[in-house]
Amino acid sequence: MFDDGSPIYRQIADQIKAEIMNGSLEPGGKVMSTNQYAAFYQINPATAQKAFRELVDEGVLYKQRGVGMFVAEDARDKLAADFRERFFERVLAPLVREARQAGIPLTDIIDYLKAQEGVLK
Amino acid sequence: MTAPALATRRYGLGAGLAGAALNYFKYWMLAAAVLCFAVPLLIAQYAGIELSAWYYAVNAGKWFTAFVGGGFVFTLLPQMIAAGLTRRELAAAMGVFGVLWSLALGAVGLAGLFAERAYYGAFGWSQGIDATSGIAPIGSAADTAAFAAYLPLLFLAYFAAGTVIGVASYRWEHAGWLLLVPVLPVVFGLDVALYSTEPVGPGWIGFLGRFIDEWGRGPLAAAIVLATAVLAVAARRLLIDVPLRSKQA
Amino acid sequence: MSLSVTLRDVSLRYGAEAALTGIDLDLEAGKIYGLLGRNGAGKTSLLSLVAAFRKPSTGRILVGGEPVWENASVVSRVALIREGGDFDDTETVKATIESGSIRPSFDTEYAYKLADRFELPLKKRVSALSRGKRSVLAAVCGLAARADLTMFDEVHLGMDAPTRDAFYKELLAEYLERPHTVVLSTHLIDEVANYLEEVVIVDRGRILQHADIEAFQGMGATLTGPAAAVDALGLDALAEQRLGGTKSITVASALDADTRERAAAAGIEIGPVGLQDLFIHLTDPNRNGA
Repeated sequence: MFDDGSPIYRQIADQIKAEIMNGSLEPGGKVMSTNQYAAFYQINPATAQKAFRELVDEGVLYKQRGVGMFVAEDARDKLAADFRERFFERVLAPLVREARQAGIPLTDIIDYLKAQEGVLK
Repeated sequence: MTAPALATRRYGLGAGLAGAALNYFKYWMLAAAVLCFAVPLLIAQYAGIELSAWYYAVNAGKWFTAFVGGGFVFTLLPQMIAAGLTRRELAAAMGVFGVLWSLALGAVGLAGLFAERAYYGAFGWSQGIDATSGIAPIGSAADTAAFAAYLPLLFLAYFAAGTVIGVASYRWEHAGWLLLVPVLPVVFGLDVALYSTEPVGPGWIGFLGRFIDEWGRGPLAAAIVLATAVLAVAARRLLIDVPLRSKQA
Repeated sequence: MSLSVTLRDVSLRYGAEAALTGIDLDLEAGKIYGLLGRNGAGKTSLLSLVAAFRKPSTGRILVGGEPVWENASVVSRVALIREGGDFDDTETVKATIESGSIRPSFDTEYAYKLADRFELPLKKRVSALSRGKRSVLAAVCGLAARADLTMFDEVHLGMDAPTRDAFYKELLAEYLERPHTVVLSTHLIDEVANYLEEVVIVDRGRILQHADIEAFQGMGATLTGPAAAVDALGLDALAEQRLGGTKSITVASALDADTRERAAAAGIEIGPVGLQDLFIHLTDPNRNGA
């Protein structure tokens, strides 16, 4: 991990978010401490702290003084909306752009996606 | 990290260095004692014994003392400052080291002279030194004690001389040892004059001492105290703002 | 208690040659700093001043708010570990470790634990150690000093990659257990980047940059695309390369959203710049100013 060029604290924040989305971190569950994160990922604890601070600011985590960090009850709902927005922005927008550059009509893509929906069902 | 430990560590270091150095050189001293016992016995087969062998050992000890002072400070300086000691602390530690070392060697010197006195007495040999005016016996027990009483001071003078040259050699990598030129003749001259003896070393050093050996031991001892103090102050002065050498990459 | 570091208008001259000029620097207590600079940039001189190995030619140096020069209560809590260590080479490794206890905070037990972990031969003389083992001994003594300001100056030199990795791990573990101020001077920037909170770049005797590691990580970008399109962005390039009609430039500043959008629309690929590359570009002697 830590190789896509964005600051490490953001990568950690993203990873915690992903863990909340996929259920490995439960709402109300306790998150590892900054020092545990630092030791596990071999990073500066201030970096882990920055990730936590960002998540607290976004309302994904909340802090209980002297006890630790916990996942907010409504974290998943908050993140779902966020994920949806980012999915369109980061995945679909470039897709459309590239398709246009390559001369692929959007209708072809829509047909392809529809076919995939059939497969997945 | 307690403050009292920090305030007194310089003295602890000094005492520790003296202990370590004495421990390190104990076999040398033992070897000197054995030689001083054996060599006269050997010579006595062919000639009469007139000179104290132990006095030669004591003179060798003075040389050693200079090397100990210089060698230790040269080695310790970067090591101790890198270990978080101040230069002033190191200077104080070297002072304690020098005094304890000199007292200890002085005591060894005195004990040796008395042991030799008994040994020579048993064989009817004469315990003397090679003085300017011919061979001079050290004399009665009281004379021997008076003779040996100056040894700690002399050791300290050599220690201070060695230390100032050691610090200078660290400070001025290529030129520091040149301090030998003014320091050595002064210390040798005073030593030689004190005992109005032939020097251990080149003859011209004895020549230096001969100008002042009429002063008598009191004024000469005072001159040695003064010279030692000047050397110690000089060593401290050179030490307290010396930069650590940079490491060769 | 961690120690802060403050330098005010500090300069250092070796004879006629200026090693450091007009240094103003503040290091907060309790952080891990990376000190970067090319050979001869002044890293070692800077650290030597902070550790009171040398006296500055001008200026003031405070450690923990107090002047550091000849201040026993401060220097006893400061450790600068130079490459190869400051040892008596005729001593054994064991005696060298034992002599560390002249420092009140030195933890002999911890030193032996580390010596065992890094497989130091206790009975060997320091002079008989390989360069790598010597560096390890220096690092071990530096860690076991348990100082409140610990500075490692290129201590990794001579260590192989697994040993360096183990050293960084131990350094972080010690830091997590006992917060203190750490300065790592190194060339292997990418190797230590994740351990750092702030980075100071020294160049030609001056402080070139001092910022959070994130600022450096977000700082640079490479843009690769059709030469005309890249030129049209009008960015200040640190370095540029051309291959046929394709042009690649490196910029030091963070790209704003507008530039990113325009670049993306023009088919320009945006990539990150590693700290190491950024450092190389920033300290390029052919660059004018900074």
